[in-house]
Amino acid sequence: MLKDITLGQYFPGNSYLHRRDPRAKIVASVLYIVVVFLCQNLWSFGFLVMATLGIVAVSGVPLKILLKSVKPLIFILAFTTVYNVFFHTGETLLVDLGFVDIYLEGILFAVIMAVRIICLLVGSSVILTYTTSPIMLTDGLERLLSPLKRLHLPVHEFAMMMTIALRFIPTLIEETEKIMSAQKARGADFSSGGLLKRVKALIPVLIPLFISAFRRASDLAVAMECRCYRGGEGRTRMTKLTFTLSDGLLLAWIAAMGAAVVLINLYLPGLSL
Amino acid sequence: MSILELKNVSYAYSVGTPFAKKALDNVSVSFEANRITGLIGHTGCGKSTLVQLLNGLLSPSEGQVLFDGQDVNEKGFDNKSLCFRVGLVFQYPEYQLFEETVYADIAYGPKNMGLDEQEIDRRIRTAAEFVRIDPKLFDASPFDLSGGQKRRVAIAGIMAMDPEVLILDEPAAGLDPVGREEILGGIRFYQRRRGNTVIIVSHSMEDMARYSDRLVVMDHGRIAMEGDCAEIFSKADALTSVGLDVPQITRFMLALKQRGVDVRTDVFTVDQARDEILRVAGGNRHA
Repeated sequence: MLKDITLGQYFPGNSYLHRRDPRAKIVASVLYIVVVFLCQNLWSFGFLVMATLGIVAVSGVPLKILLKSVKPLIFILAFTTVYNVFFHTGETLLVDLGFVDIYLEGILFAVIMAVRIICLLVGSSVILTYTTSPIMLTDGLERLLSPLKRLHLPVHEFAMMMTIALRFIPTLIEETEKIMSAQKARGADFSSGGLLKRVKALIPVLIPLFISAFRRASDLAVAMECRCYRGGEGRTRMTKLTFTLSDGLLLAWIAAMGAAVVLINLYLPGLSL
Repeated sequence: MSILELKNVSYAYSVGTPFAKKALDNVSVSFEANRITGLIGHTGCGKSTLVQLLNGLLSPSEGQVLFDGQDVNEKGFDNKSLCFRVGLVFQYPEYQLFEETVYADIAYGPKNMGLDEQEIDRRIRTAAEFVRIDPKLFDASPFDLSGGQKRRVAIAGIMAMDPEVLILDEPAAGLDPVGREEILGGIRFYQRRRGNTVIIVSHSMEDMARYSDRLVVMDHGRIAMEGDCAEIFSKADALTSVGLDVPQITRFMLALKQRGVDVRTDVFTVDQARDEILRVAGGNRHA
């Protein structure tokens, strides 16, 4: 039951995107988001959709899995679409229902908004979260933020906290399931009764869970100290991130995409919104 | 007479995902009433899955689980009461303690059964006696106890539900010899006094040789062997082939026999071995 929750979205693979430096991918995904918002007319949106599909193809992540991640957003998508269809005004009136009017522009705008949201989600997650393991992600984040160390911000410690938190989520889920089964064997009932009763029924799960989380935390702290961990200062790495030409190229690709969008906006002004 | 029975049971985890894993494969086995059965097998052979099927926490993908001849997954069966009739003590049960006092924690199961205060109190005292928890500790926080004491309090919590079948998953795991003796001795004392059915999951041959009447050996989601201790431990080769071993003393007797001393090898406790060696040695002296 709890195991069905997907944690992080990392899809293991060895594609061009998987092999890129996480720093490049973090910057690239931010750039990509900028590109999405640069699109201003139907031509540029068409280009954006094609380019995004291209990126997906390069990543090797099955489209089916990507669409699954859009699923939780269906409500928001439906809401914005309906909202825009009914309340966006324009010139070409299609239906006049008296209290609401539906315009051709409204329908177009609604579709564009939906496409924008889906592209935003699919594109940025393919560039970053689907193709970067959580460890690489925090590693890259730490390196990107390292200039902030000059301002005495504990960047390394934050990254370490994030890594540890990510590492222990599956462990805690497993533990929760074990404790729930154990209490069920003692007659605990988690699935009937009113809200108050259900919340109360969770106490026998939460207390052991907290205790074991604290125990694990202190065990881990001792284990880290035994291996002489003392924060980020002077710490070297086993795997050094190297920013190669291909990583630079990834950024160049996304930048070129942005430039193309701007050019399309300027020189193919038809169907502008 | 058998009280719990599995008929052609298969069980798989995460069905329909790439992580699907078959834990039990067409298992048929019956557990005899009023005896201690040891369920042994290598890590990951499906022991823990099997015991969760026995008390209704899991339902089989295929096959039937019969309690007293009734299918527990049939519609008419009161599945909720099954966990009270078949008490299951999980591995490392001390991690499920949560109440403020030892007394309240043992009371959790009986309370869920809807018993009255007096009956609950009686059961707590009896259960505590079985696992040798001093009533002086009743008002202590379970988190202040030693590891072995915590474990015994957790076991008392299940015993207090007075189940017809008590199943314990690795009750002695991670304890020192004294702790093991206290737990397993307590369980045996409980079984002999109550005369009900006990199933102990373990991978320790020594413990099982000492404390169980009957053995079921599992391997890779199947039943490899079943029978009484002497029968099972006389098949040293078969045990080795499923990644298990005979008790040290049996191995000693086997080695003795190889050296030409004519001893019986279906011996699995030190006491039996002493008697057997004395018998053979005595016989030689007279010859």
